[in-house]
Amino acid sequence: MDIRVLRPSDIPNVQTANITNLPENYFCKYYLYHAMSWPQLSYVAVDVSRPPKTPYDPPKIVGYVLAKMEEEPADGVQHGHITSLSVMRTHRRLGLAEKLMRQSQRAMAETYGANYVSLHVRVSNAAAKHLYSDTLGFTIEKTEPKYYADGEDAFSMRMDLSDLRLKMQDSDDEDEEGSVGQDEG
Amino acid sequence: SDPAPPEKISAEDRKAAAALSSLDARGEDDDAPAGKKEVDTEALGKAMRGLDVKEEGKKEEVKRKVVKVDQGDVALFVEQLELSKAKATELLKAHEGDAVKAMSAFVTASA
Amino acid sequence: MPQPLPSKENSLFKQVVKNYEAKQYKKGLKSAEQILRKVPNHGDTQAMKALILNAQGNSTEAFELAKVALKNDVKSHVCWHVYGLLYRTAKNYEEAIKAYKFALKLDPDSAQISRDLAQLQVQMRDYPGFVQTRMAILKSRPHVRQNWTAMAVAHHLNGEFEAAERILTTYEDTLKSPPPKSDIEHSEAILYKNTIIAESGNIEKALSHLEAVMKNSLDRTAVMEMRARYLLLLDRKEEAQKAYRALLDRNNEYRAYYEGLEKAMGLDRTDDDSIPKLAELYESYAAKSEKVDAARRVPLDFLQGESFKTAADRYLRSMLKRGIPSTFANVKALYRDPAKRTIIEELVNGYASEQLTNGSAENHEGDRSSNKFDEAVLYFLAQHYNYHLSRDLSKALDFIDKALEMNPKAVEYGMTKARIWKHYGNPAKASEIMDEARTWDERDRAINSKCAKYQLRNNENENALKTMSKFTKNETVKEALGDLHDLQCMWYLTEDGEAYLRQGKFGLALKRFHAIYDIFDIWQEDQFDFHSFSLRKGQIRAYVDMIRWEDHLREHPYYSRAAIFAVKAYIMLHDKPHLAHESLTNGFTDMDSMDANERKKAMKKAKREQEKQEKAEAERKEAEKKAATKKPATGADGELKKEDKDPQGTKLARTKEPLQDAGKFLSFLLEFSPKNIEAQNVGFEVFTRKNKHLLALKCLLAASSIDSENPTLHEQTVRFRRTLDTLSEPLPPPVAKVIDSTFTLIPTS
Repeated sequence: MDIRVLRPSDIPNVQTANITNLPENYFCKYYLYHAMSWPQLSYVAVDVSRPPKTPYDPPKIVGYVLAKMEEEPADGVQHGHITSLSVMRTHRRLGLAEKLMRQSQRAMAETYGANYVSLHVRVSNAAAKHLYSDTLGFTIEKTEPKYYADGEDAFSMRMDLSDLRLKMQDSDDEDEEGSVGQDEG
Repeated sequence: SDPAPPEKISAEDRKAAAALSSLDARGEDDDAPAGKKEVDTEALGKAMRGLDVKEEGKKEEVKRKVVKVDQGDVALFVEQLELSKAKATELLKAHEGDAVKAMSAFVTASA
Repeated sequence: MPQPLPSKENSLFKQVVKNYEAKQYKKGLKSAEQILRKVPNHGDTQAMKALILNAQGNSTEAFELAKVALKNDVKSHVCWHVYGLLYRTAKNYEEAIKAYKFALKLDPDSAQISRDLAQLQVQMRDYPGFVQTRMAILKSRPHVRQNWTAMAVAHHLNGEFEAAERILTTYEDTLKSPPPKSDIEHSEAILYKNTIIAESGNIEKALSHLEAVMKNSLDRTAVMEMRARYLLLLDRKEEAQKAYRALLDRNNEYRAYYEGLEKAMGLDRTDDDSIPKLAELYESYAAKSEKVDAARRVPLDFLQGESFKTAADRYLRSMLKRGIPSTFANVKALYRDPAKRTIIEELVNGYASEQLTNGSAENHEGDRSSNKFDEAVLYFLAQHYNYHLSRDLSKALDFIDKALEMNPKAVEYGMTKARIWKHYGNPAKASEIMDEARTWDERDRAINSKCAKYQLRNNENENALKTMSKFTKNETVKEALGDLHDLQCMWYLTEDGEAYLRQGKFGLALKRFHAIYDIFDIWQEDQFDFHSFSLRKGQIRAYVDMIRWEDHLREHPYYSRAAIFAVKAYIMLHDKPHLAHESLTNGFTDMDSMDANERKKAMKKAKREQEKQEKAEAERKEAEKKAATKKPATGADGELKKEDKDPQGTKLARTKEPLQDAGKFLSFLLEFSPKNIEAQNVGFEVFTRKNKHLLALKCLLAASSIDSENPTLHEQTVRFRRTLDTLSEPLPPPVAKVIDSTFTLIPTS
């Protein structure tokens, strides 16, 4: 499974992955809006193992993260936001969600100087909460009562990105000193 | 089962709709003050004069060879190949007005 | 000339314009009418009123009024501009361009009209026109960076790389001091220039430019990728190696980086000497990270024989031990090589028999994880024997049942079991099992979607919609189906249409295929706003990517699949028009055995019956509407949706010109997917029925170049020969000549 940045031509299949897996869906144009505004932030997981049957077969998208920068942050602090994240049921437990998130988060810090990244998750969604808090290091900012249409509460979660920003600074300094490469583990 | 995603409510939907409806907002370059970038006015003036020079240089258009096209052939192409008149004329011109050559090229194009 | 207004009305007019821009249509309309009471023939006001009416959805009225306005004031740029805007919303871009050009002649300095014109020109891909308009805009407003960038985009799209680059450099040279690093517009403009240099073919120059600017570029991933690519192209292998290694340190799950590194190291997967070095390379990356999959999976592609077996064993065991459900999906691509297929089969069967003898193959581990392993092995084998290259359905069924015994409510297992029944050719049973699996996790939309798909495969359109509605919002009067249309759920619409077609319900089938067609129109239209938006955002590389994607949008299989079915449906309707009438296709009437007269009578009767039904249906709907308290259907943009006058597709199916209608689908199909053999096959069928022999022949030749062994092609070739031999009147001589010289697939009789 390749992890790479989302291209406009991926959008029809990302849209399908979304509407197949999740209850909140968007028009093609909303994906385009993300890709045209912050083209560095959205990533896809692609099953590249099968050769296409016709020259027109699009890459098989098995997961994606659709991300943005908050345009008018209420707290005045530059930060990213995860609009949607999904991995096909058939491709779970490969760690794809984590890998997608990590790429997106780094781009948020590198390209837009994001201080943190935020998202919402259903309080009942233990698996997602586990990914965000235990694997990625998100913390619960607050609970938003009745956030969802069906009356369920949401955890508003966020993750600080200053580590990534520091790392960038370091590697910038290294560049100054003429050393090559960097290891972000 | 596995990490599912942050989910959204209709508030998100409204956000999406708002984002989409503001896409066509006016003010692409507006009459806003000269923008945030400090532009050297003198250099800009020079750059503008440079534009004209380049444009003039470009104006020498290549003269196209004049090819006579038989209107009967055009009609035949429109009929047989379901082309527009303009496309039919273009196709004929590209083959020196030779109907058989032009049609053969068209038919075998993707083969 | 615009007619002068008294001062009170003049300020009212300004108000109207403001109201329109702020989308305050009611207020604007009121003010406009107030002006018109005083000055009834004021063209500009009428034009503005037309614009507002149009925005409210009254386009017919708007057009009429705009024409009156033009008559009253043919020299007003406002009237022409509005006329263009109306055409633009009606999507008649050619007429809109003409109107804008008239408006510009009357008011050459209007930035707004120029921008509107430029937007249409790029939408229509009139690049020379776009270049001209952008030049005019640039000249009138050179202090705005966007105008320089837009000029460069115009040159670039028009294929003038040098001019594009020069424009960007010219602007850069006017900057007093370099903008701060955080200036994303600047950073992107610089990288955009770099891509233009590279596209023009001067990689050397692209690299040195990139190296000069990369420190201040905000899109670090892109910069690193570009640099690595340039170094490789320039054969600077040492540096390219370093560059690809640096990329892999950031993202070790991207095969393009590994491939770049292989090339930079001079390794070749088809060369035996390279293999040990390749294996070592991937080994080193696997050792770096426990989580990386690519470095472990890729070697299975190039290793052979014993070393493949060792690597595969290690890979499979580690995946299965962790119970990763996609293990089979991860390796099935290897099955194209029969030797690898056999090795994998033996390995995993081996794990299964170890279980039988030892209790568990991984018995040194704790109980829980051995169970996980055992289960994963069974699940893998079920998928293996269900796969077309290694199919043995009874074995597959046996393994999946065993897995289900261990874990009775595992949704994946249920899904696989349903799939096995599908392959048995039993869609009813498949659908039933999928529906059961759905109940094991009712909050999961993935299994819900699969269930609906299987229901459609079993022609259960209504059940499928019910299933889907569990996850749709169902807020509008159109309910679930409306939601699926609005949210562009392509797979559902296509499967729904195909299911209807299988049942001979041509109207509904065509309805769905047309819906797909229309969504592609929407997707094409979606780019419109970005022509100006992207300039504001400054993300130009992304914008150019989008333009290029949109240029071949309809090659997507979502389009070709629906289009091929639509064309097939129309061909059937052409051959047997009675199929459009359901009452004649439901088994009571055998049309084929009737004579012409009887058939006519039956058709008439069917039409009468259908009309009666429709009337009853309409009355029922009307009553329902009156009773309903639901809110009217609106789109996400809050605009009122028009009511569908032909929800059953009856009118579509009863077309008088099925072949003409098929043409709508066919022309895009042949234009964008010429290498799709089925597209050429159905193209032949349409053209041969229209007696367009050259076009039919073009399809045959194209098909033959894709796959000369295609059975449909063979049958069609013979039929074409016969058609030519039995023509009632001779072909025009040039046509005959062309056919003689190009139709060489079979000799003349």
